[in-house]
Amino acid sequence: MNATPASANRNVLPERPARTPAGTVRLHAPAPRTVEAQAKPIVEFNGVDKSFTIPGRWPWSPKRDVHAVRNVTFTIKPGEVLALIGQSGSGKTTVSRMVLGLEEPTKGEIRLEGMRWDGLSEMQRRPQRVKYQYVPQDALSALDPQQTALEHVIESLTILGKRDPTNVEGEAVKMLERLGLGHRLYALPREMSGGEQRRVTLARVFALQPKLVVADEPTSGLDPDRQESVLEDLIHNLPPEAGCILVTHEMTQARKWCHRGLVMLEGQVIEEIQFPDGDPKHPYAKMLFDPWGQHDFAMSTAF
Amino acid sequence: MSDPDLLLDLSDLCIKTAERTLVDGVSYSVRAGKVTAVIGHSGSGKSLSARAAMGVLDVDPGLVRGSLRFPGWSGDRDWFEGVRGNGMKAQRRLLADTTILRGGYLTYSPQSASSALNPGRTIGRQLEIAIGRRTKPATNIGQVVKDVLNEVGLPARAAYALPRELSGGMAQRAALAIAIAPQPRIMIADEPETGLDPVLRRVVTELMLEVARKHGVGLMLISHNMDTVDRVADVVVKIVPVGSKPTLEGAPV
Repeated sequence: MNATPASANRNVLPERPARTPAGTVRLHAPAPRTVEAQAKPIVEFNGVDKSFTIPGRWPWSPKRDVHAVRNVTFTIKPGEVLALIGQSGSGKTTVSRMVLGLEEPTKGEIRLEGMRWDGLSEMQRRPQRVKYQYVPQDALSALDPQQTALEHVIESLTILGKRDPTNVEGEAVKMLERLGLGHRLYALPREMSGGEQRRVTLARVFALQPKLVVADEPTSGLDPDRQESVLEDLIHNLPPEAGCILVTHEMTQARKWCHRGLVMLEGQVIEEIQFPDGDPKHPYAKMLFDPWGQHDFAMSTAF
Repeated sequence: MSDPDLLLDLSDLCIKTAERTLVDGVSYSVRAGKVTAVIGHSGSGKSLSARAAMGVLDVDPGLVRGSLRFPGWSGDRDWFEGVRGNGMKAQRRLLADTTILRGGYLTYSPQSASSALNPGRTIGRQLEIAIGRRTKPATNIGQVVKDVLNEVGLPARAAYALPRELSGGMAQRAALAIAIAPQPRIMIADEPETGLDPVLRRVVTELMLEVARKHGVGLMLISHNMDTVDRVADVVVKIVPVGSKPTLEGAPV
């Protein structure tokens, strides 16, 4: 399809491309992604600690220290998809925020593509940020309610990608078409379904050809079929040498789409599992993978 | 109705807007001490039919066909009588007439517990309000609040906590406490496991089931999660998008 100018009438929708009819279950095969084991890692975490100071109930109540992440060490190689697994409050989100430079570690060292990433100022980080992109948990609140799908992608290309605004439109349209949104170019976020909103957040990330994508529970609140197709779109459109961190609650998703999984408990990485064949050994990890089995639920932290 | 266990009976529900049919021919019933699970894709009309079952209708022209009975409360009365095909005004009247039902005879717990709780009131105060909706008012409210909290596994001091001070699992328990406090006959849980991790999902579902069985409450579980539904449901109702009739997959156990 030809690129339509953004100024075109919103009410005249482009023709809808043929898609799998709604409600049919597609059988997905995970994309074969090759991990370049010899290459320089994209992410290196070296003994990273993070603690927060939390105010009490009233302004005069004593403040508390919460140790969210303790001594986390891992690397991600180009092409690798890493799953962060754990209960709510186990520090998964804090780790992913530190990768993106949204939180400063209190101890330890973070390197992205060999470059020291912690302790930088926002001015020093800003030019790098385009390479390290984030897929949010709640797509609706992450999108601008007044912008169409196409405008979101164009804005991300021109502002973050520093591209010339006059000729990025075709590229943006192509990106949206690749994600099956060719018929929704001029739709506003509230007019789209949950799956389509998530695809817009994916499109504006992939348009930038990132080196690293951090996806924080990109499928929460969708029904199982749509979760599968959103994840499929996420992994299949990832540039071949890019790394990916997938924060997830669903162990079946982690096993199917990721190369490795880190199981976190109270801020520590307690086990590293190789997917798709590896089985959890730690009793806590076993409980996460098979919650309906016989377990000692006193281990569980999130009560 | 002869069946003494039957608490809610919704049959042949059909709701339309001016442009399209939203649900067509949905029927289900809720029985005391049993779990009715309603499954289906998003947009298939699960939540809409659950809202209709509570007497909440707000589409135009809305209800076209169907009947709704609460045999445990109003005998053989059909609450959709006079509402069918009469548009918004009749639906608003139905909403007013059934106000006394919601929060008393049946309680509804929405998807996300932490956003359903009132952020400005302590859990204890919210429980007191819920207990006030019992048909037989409780005299020693303080003790009743403690009992209800104990039942869902929360410490008594949780009564003084504000919702933001609770973790996700505790908020989920508090929401369950508020749902059972008015001693309802029917509990409608709309995707209670959304946003919970797998362990918490099991714990919360089992707790809900245990409480429902103990009090003989009919539980209606709206869910995406087949894993949970397979394990807990007595009856499974599958709603498919308009075009084909819903199928009843399991007979009452």
